[in-house]
Amino acid sequence: MKNKINIYLMEYALGSILRQGHKSIFIAVVFTLLSALLTSIFFITNSIKYELNTTVDALPQIIVQNTKASRVAEIDINSVDKLLNLPGISNVNARVWGYYYFANAGVNFTLVGVDEFEEQYSKTLGNVVNTGKLSSSSMLIGSGVRDIMNSSYYKDYFNFIKPDGTIKKVEIAGVFDSDIELESNDMIVMSKDTLREIFGIQESKATDLVVKVANLEEINTVALKIEQMFPNARVITNDDMKLSYENIFNYKSGIFLALFVVAIFTFFIIIYDKMSGLSSEQKREVGILKAIGWRVEDVLKEKFYESLIVSLFAYFLGVILALAYVYIFNAPLLRDIFIGYSDLKPLFKISFVLDFQTLFLVFFLSVPIYIAATIIPSWKVATLEADDVIR
Amino acid sequence: MNKKSKFTFYLFLLLGGILILQILYLGSEQSMTENMREKKVLFVQLTGLPDLALYSNSNYIRHRSLSLPSDIYALDGCLREYDSATYAINDSTIASLK
Repeated sequence: MKNKINIYLMEYALGSILRQGHKSIFIAVVFTLLSALLTSIFFITNSIKYELNTTVDALPQIIVQNTKASRVAEIDINSVDKLLNLPGISNVNARVWGYYYFANAGVNFTLVGVDEFEEQYSKTLGNVVNTGKLSSSSMLIGSGVRDIMNSSYYKDYFNFIKPDGTIKKVEIAGVFDSDIELESNDMIVMSKDTLREIFGIQESKATDLVVKVANLEEINTVALKIEQMFPNARVITNDDMKLSYENIFNYKSGIFLALFVVAIFTFFIIIYDKMSGLSSEQKREVGILKAIGWRVEDVLKEKFYESLIVSLFAYFLGVILALAYVYIFNAPLLRDIFIGYSDLKPLFKISFVLDFQTLFLVFFLSVPIYIAATIIPSWKVATLEADDVIR
Repeated sequence: MNKKSKFTFYLFLLLGGILILQILYLGSEQSMTENMREKKVLFVQLTGLPDLALYSNSNYIRHRSLSLPSDIYALDGCLREYDSATYAINDSTIASLK
């Protein structure tokens, strides 16, 4: 029975919160904003990590690029046959892709070439495109590309300017599904031949080679062999790509750390203010309570309830606000850290991931600290003699 | 239980209710479905380019496999735009004013 919640103490604590009026409201508001900010930041990073990790296994096992004077250069198609002779390699695909700068809107599109008549590709494209079928004279575009083209009055086709100054007209066959907007927003997929024409890439050349290794354990060995075979090649394994994801998040974490430090610093200033002692009014209140027979334990319990009510209220409200801010309103302001000022930015519709680790982290960073900061000064006062405190 | 306690109790009940409803709503409406995941994987398999179309002034953010060693320098001369990660994005309107 001893540990049961004392409803009278709880009522007294509530009365105390209401008596403090503006001070309680101020603390609750700051606490709510702080937990909302921290939770939002963690929600955004978790969701983006989740998005990236979803497709991480679909990465090419090895990408081989040719470099010339440390710049990426076109690779010879003949290298495909040389690579296929290496033991362990099951397939090599020559890719043609690159960036097309659309000066009118000042944006870069990513153009990717596929073999449109290969059954595998047409099946895949059918799954990721709303309507339309790829042909040798058409292309599939991301929704960001469509918007940019529409704003320049290209509704049904687009005129690409070739390196020789002539124009290549390509019909718009369809738009990628909105479900893959985060991946496809700035992408254009068209046939390899059309792409070669637009970029002026010869039949005997490709942008890079994608190598498939039969045994996953041999990826690094095969990559080493390729490096030995082509000393100027840049060989990128899927592990390198995964590692670079980590680098991105280390960079992002830097930005977030700055926000985090500011938020935590603000919180600790409030805590410090509370730790530095109770006001004379609060001290007198504790003294009177002791004088009328309250034990130290009762005073501490009352203060515990008081701080628990304020901090839990602020924490829950903060989490509710963060969920709405990130997933319903798509994180205005904070999303700019990720999508920048581009005219080709995707809708920031990230997938909802309920991460209990984040919720616990924010909880333990805020609620217990606030409770401790309330109880410790009260304990210091409550252990003094009542007449000393009142006097 | 006095009025204040009842009010607080209902307030916490309301907060808890909103939180649970919000999580249930987001879980059903905003989480990644198996179909979406499949589409994303298919698209990345098709293009071999896994990066998200997001940009934040960081190098290699978009299709890092086609970045150059010199791209780490913000004033890389090979670009028409004013900073190094603008392959996939527009440059700043302010910076473009000449």
